[in-house]
Amino acid sequence: MTGSARGAPSPGAVGVAVAGRAGARSWWRTPTARRYVFGYSLLAPAVLYVGLLVGVPFVFSLYLAVSDAAVGEPVARFVGLENFASILESTTFYVALRNTLVFTVGAGILKGLLGTTLAFLLVQPFRGRRVVRALVVIPFTLPIAISVLGWKWMFDSQFSVLNWALSRVGLIGAYGSADWPVWLGQPHLALLSVMFVNVWRGFPFGAIVLLAGMTSVAPEILEAAKVDGASFLQRFRKIIVPMIAPILFIGTAFDTVFTLSDLSIVYLLTNGGPDGATEILPTLAYNTGIRAGALGRGAAISLFLFPLLLPAMVLLLRTLRRRQY
Amino acid sequence: MAPAHRPPRSARAKALRRHLLIYLGLVPFLVITVFPVFWMAITAVKQEADLYRMDAVPFWFHQAPTWKNFDILFNRTFYRAWIVNTGAISFWVSVITLLTAVPAGYALARLRLPFAENLGIGIFMTYLVPAIILFIPLARVVAELDLQDSWWSLVVIYPTFTIPFCTWLLMGFFKTVPFEIEEAAMVDGCGQLGALLRVVLPVSWPGLITAVIFSFTLSMQDFLYSLAFVSISEQKPVPLGVATELIRGDVYFWGSLMAGALLVGVPVAIIYNLFLDKFISGITGAAIK
Repeated sequence: MTGSARGAPSPGAVGVAVAGRAGARSWWRTPTARRYVFGYSLLAPAVLYVGLLVGVPFVFSLYLAVSDAAVGEPVARFVGLENFASILESTTFYVALRNTLVFTVGAGILKGLLGTTLAFLLVQPFRGRRVVRALVVIPFTLPIAISVLGWKWMFDSQFSVLNWALSRVGLIGAYGSADWPVWLGQPHLALLSVMFVNVWRGFPFGAIVLLAGMTSVAPEILEAAKVDGASFLQRFRKIIVPMIAPILFIGTAFDTVFTLSDLSIVYLLTNGGPDGATEILPTLAYNTGIRAGALGRGAAISLFLFPLLLPAMVLLLRTLRRRQY
Repeated sequence: MAPAHRPPRSARAKALRRHLLIYLGLVPFLVITVFPVFWMAITAVKQEADLYRMDAVPFWFHQAPTWKNFDILFNRTFYRAWIVNTGAISFWVSVITLLTAVPAGYALARLRLPFAENLGIGIFMTYLVPAIILFIPLARVVAELDLQDSWWSLVVIYPTFTIPFCTWLLMGFFKTVPFEIEEAAMVDGCGQLGALLRVVLPVSWPGLITAVIFSFTLSMQDFLYSLAFVSISEQKPVPLGVATELIRGDVYFWGSLMAGALLVGVPVAIIYNLFLDKFISGITGAAIK
């Protein structure tokens, strides 16, 4: 099917070339030309919508970043790289950048480990597998703001159910003692907590993506390798890894994009606090651009995310292109 | 196949042991993924005093369960309005998405256009341009359209991620519809548009339903846009309303919060769960099965 679709354009292209010599006017009447006009007019609404509301705003954000645009001030002045310069001079930015990196990398590693473990468990045949699968993906399928609210309640400074359980088994002290963790109130714990919620939400996604990759490895290939005397490790390294690597890349890249650009976990749990301990670039951009109304500076901060996002996007682009065929 | 016979005892013991090991490995995962939902659910039906006691086991009731939190939610907050808003937003976003993504996906998959693959990938890549980069310039767009503080702003914005995703999804879907049915329709005198409307779309309803489902679930996953563009209580969608309106200063109404969160969260999670495989194969670029 894909073969015929891929092979088809060449007769069309020949038709264009032949018709082109016969004159432009008659070319417009050929079936190929009519198909092109029909096709591109079907595409137009989607392309226009996305172009106008993603492409144009993206370019506009570049413009905002070099202006002093602010909420309530209709006229924006061109200020060159002033926004970027002042951002690079503020310590808050470096704290946010560092937290963003720690958050993304730390949570990414944990998600990778947990997701892989879960995928290897779920790929085994066992009774109740469908039910288990449906249950473990709950964190990913719940709307993010909603599950974060649940975690906010579980991290409550006094009535945290986690603390109650930990205290009962003796891992932490009683309420009021120095060994009673205030998850969202102590700098290091707060960063750990927001990372934990991100991991909680993300690892099932990783596991399911990996699982899809693993089940796409045909059992016959593994069987053949086994017959040929390949050991488990050899089969794993030479067959399973190369076949699931692309899908693993895609999963990681998507997750990185989601993680880097998500603000709801931090915003709802700590809003960057205590004292900037969980400030990340998205919250900084939101608080600067919308809360404080400095649109230009906010846009400049969010653009600092772009170089971080770019590798993931390029990786995705390349993998998707290869998978097309 | 050999005729069925009882496997030897040792094989059965082995299978049993294997199952036990797998379940043992899964238990921590299940606890960590399911417990928060259980905890939210029990919080939603507990009495206020029952929530705030440290002497008793919190995992069960010590006072009779109550519907009071739901009563507060429906009668003393804008929850009804939030649900109506969420429904209306999802409806209009689905309409816009279908009207644009269906023709686009069809054109990319079946009309053998030059650059179709690259255009398809290009549209899909816009799904990856994150809200956090776009929300500040979009604030200007929303202001220009005079839609500040109205949920209509979200109707305009949400298709920026549902169109790319659904176009990609439908492109994969339309590739699996046999070419013959269109050819037959065209032989019977339908034009290209007629073939699409009368023959291809009717057999593509599973794909269309999937697109609607994702317009809905992806819209529900948003928080940033609604936070940035809608600040009037009556205009909020459910996730934003629950997250911002059930707090007075430092006081959280945990019971009503959890009730309001789960009441929409659980249905969304169930629907999403049923369509999760389509989501995964959609984003990994594999053909939709």
